[in-house]
Formats: sequence, structure tokens, C-alpha cells
Amino acid sequence: MLEVLNTPLFGITLSILAFWIGLWVQRKIRHPLANPLIIAMTLIVLILVFFDIPLDMYEKGSSVITLFLAPVTAVLALTIYRQRALLRSSLLPVLLGTLAGSVASLFSIRWTSNLLGLDQVVLASLMSKSVTTPIAIAITEQFGGIPALTVASTVISGTLGNLLAPLLAKMFFISDPVAHGIGIGSCSHALGTSKALEIGEVEGAMSSIAISLSGIFTVLLAPLFFL
Amino acid sequence: MKILIQLGLLFGVCILGDLISSVLPFAFPGSVVSMLLMLFLLLSRWMKESAIEESANFFLKNMTFFFIPFGVGILRYAALIRSVWWQLLVVNLVSLLVCFAASSWTVVLVTRMQALWRRRRNA
Repeated sequence: MLEVLNTPLFGITLSILAFWIGLWVQRKIRHPLANPLIIAMTLIVLILVFFDIPLDMYEKGSSVITLFLAPVTAVLALTIYRQRALLRSSLLPVLLGTLAGSVASLFSIRWTSNLLGLDQVVLASLMSKSVTTPIAIAITEQFGGIPALTVASTVISGTLGNLLAPLLAKMFFISDPVAHGIGIGSCSHALGTSKALEIGEVEGAMSSIAISLSGIFTVLLAPLFFL
Repeated sequence: MKILIQLGLLFGVCILGDLISSVLPFAFPGSVVSMLLMLFLLLSRWMKESAIEESANFFLKNMTFFFIPFGVGILRYAALIRSVWWQLLVVNLVSLLVCFAASSWTVVLVTRMQALWRRRRNA
């Protein structure tokens, strides 16, 4: 019976179905912990394990989906392009802020990972976890890490950033909306940005600029921290 | 046909990005080269936003969907994750705090310095 599922269409259809359910649950619960990616992932893992379907069979289809990672990354250019007026208006603080965020993120990941005794493969998978997932995966693959671990970590840091965004501003005495937005986007990419958009218009716009900018800085700087 | 042409353009830029990445003297992900290339094409007005708008919006809106396969790959590393899960959480939390503090305070300081310079120039 399993033979029928031995086509790329199976993995694609299962992914779409699981994602649809994930989005539905998110709309119903409306909480950052109800993350559609986590729900879809969990559903697929449960289905594969429960029906004893080999992961290879799923990956026949899922490898078709991952082909699109390059165009998904490329269109991020549009998010910077659409914010170009805003970017120009506070170019220096935004560029230096996201740069500082990337350096601090790489440095603290490297430092804590070493302190906790994590090995090189795990470190390679974590280095990029503050930035947007497509860029994070590209960095992980470059350093021989495990993309699955990167995806899990980017979801964790995004969700933490989303939940803690208002608290972080209070903790670090940030009242400037530009600074708050750049802070959120630099450390918790799109998941944090959805919270920034709720906090305010400037926060949201700044946070979405920071997503792609900190991605670029992290790509450029990661090799320095991985040697 | 319109969407097909848009997709063709997008994929073309991606192939070009991979090509550039393969001849670069240092390692740099092809997908990020494609993103920078796309930004350059848009800013230089060699490519209009409307040339890729619909398909780009599709990818931007459904971006999360394309990460599902990587996430499911976790099944292969269940044992590894069980052995390092609390370390992962600690690394995440520490770097979140450090990264937020560094980026937001840099913005505050740079903005203050700029205001100071402006005042000095006007005085």
C-alpha cells in the first residue's frame, strides 16, 4: 500500500496539508506559541512515525520544496527595497545597529556554546540562528551544520523575541521606537517582527528592515567567528 | 504566462547568483548573492518591482512553508537534540538578550551622536 506514496507528490501534499492546519490553529489560538511551522513539523513527524512511513519517502517530495529556498531568499531583496525611503532617513543608526546586533549575536553564541561544551557541528548549526531562516540555513550549510537544528533554533529565538519584545525594551531602558524595532528584528527576525508591528508602525518597519540587513551582516561576519 | 515569466526571471537571478558564488574566491551562499543581485537590479532600476511582484509576494507570504522540510529533518537528529536541548535554550536566551541590548543601544547612541553633531554644526 505504501507504494502509492512513493512519489514526490506525497511529501508536497502532506506539507501543504500540515501547513494549512498549522495556519488554521494559529488563527484560532492567536498566540505566538501556536507557531504554524512547529505545528506543521510536529504533525508530519507524528504521521510519519505513526504510519511507519520512511523519512526518505517524505523527502522525495520535500526536496522539491527545498529547491525554492533560493528564490525565497532572493525575494527578501524586495523587503529592503520597499523600505528604502525609511532606510535612507536613518541610514547610519540602522546600519550600525544591525551590525552591532549581528556581531553581538555571533559572539554570544560562540561564547556560550563553548562554555556549555557544544561541539563544532552544533555550533555551526546555531551561529546563524538570530537571522531569517533562509539565510540561516544557507550559513549552516556553508559550515557543515545541521539545517534541522538551525530551523528549530531560529523558531525558538523568534518565538522568545516575540514573547519578550515589550519586556526587553523595559529591561534595557529603550524608549526610542527605531531602536526598539531594530533590536527586535536583529535578534528575532520575522517572528519578532510580527510583534513589533503590533507595538507600533515605526517599530514594525524598522524591525522588518533589520531582518534582511542583519542576515547580510551575519553572512559576512560568520566566517570570522567560526574559525 | 505573466507569472511564468516572473518565475523565470526570479529563477534566472538565482542561477546567476549561484554562478557568481561559485567563482568568488571565498565561501558565500549563492542564495544571498541572488538577494543582493536582486536588490541591485531593483535599486538601479534595471528591473521594476512589477516585473516580479506577484510571484515575489507569493514567496514572501508563504515563506514559512518552505522551511517545513528542514524542520521535519529533525527526525534524524532526535537523539542529538535530546542530549543538548537545555544548552540550546540557554544559548538562545543569552544571545537574544546580548543581541537586543547591543543593537538597540547602538541605535540610541548613534542617533544621539548625530543630534550632537548637528547641533554643533548649527551653533
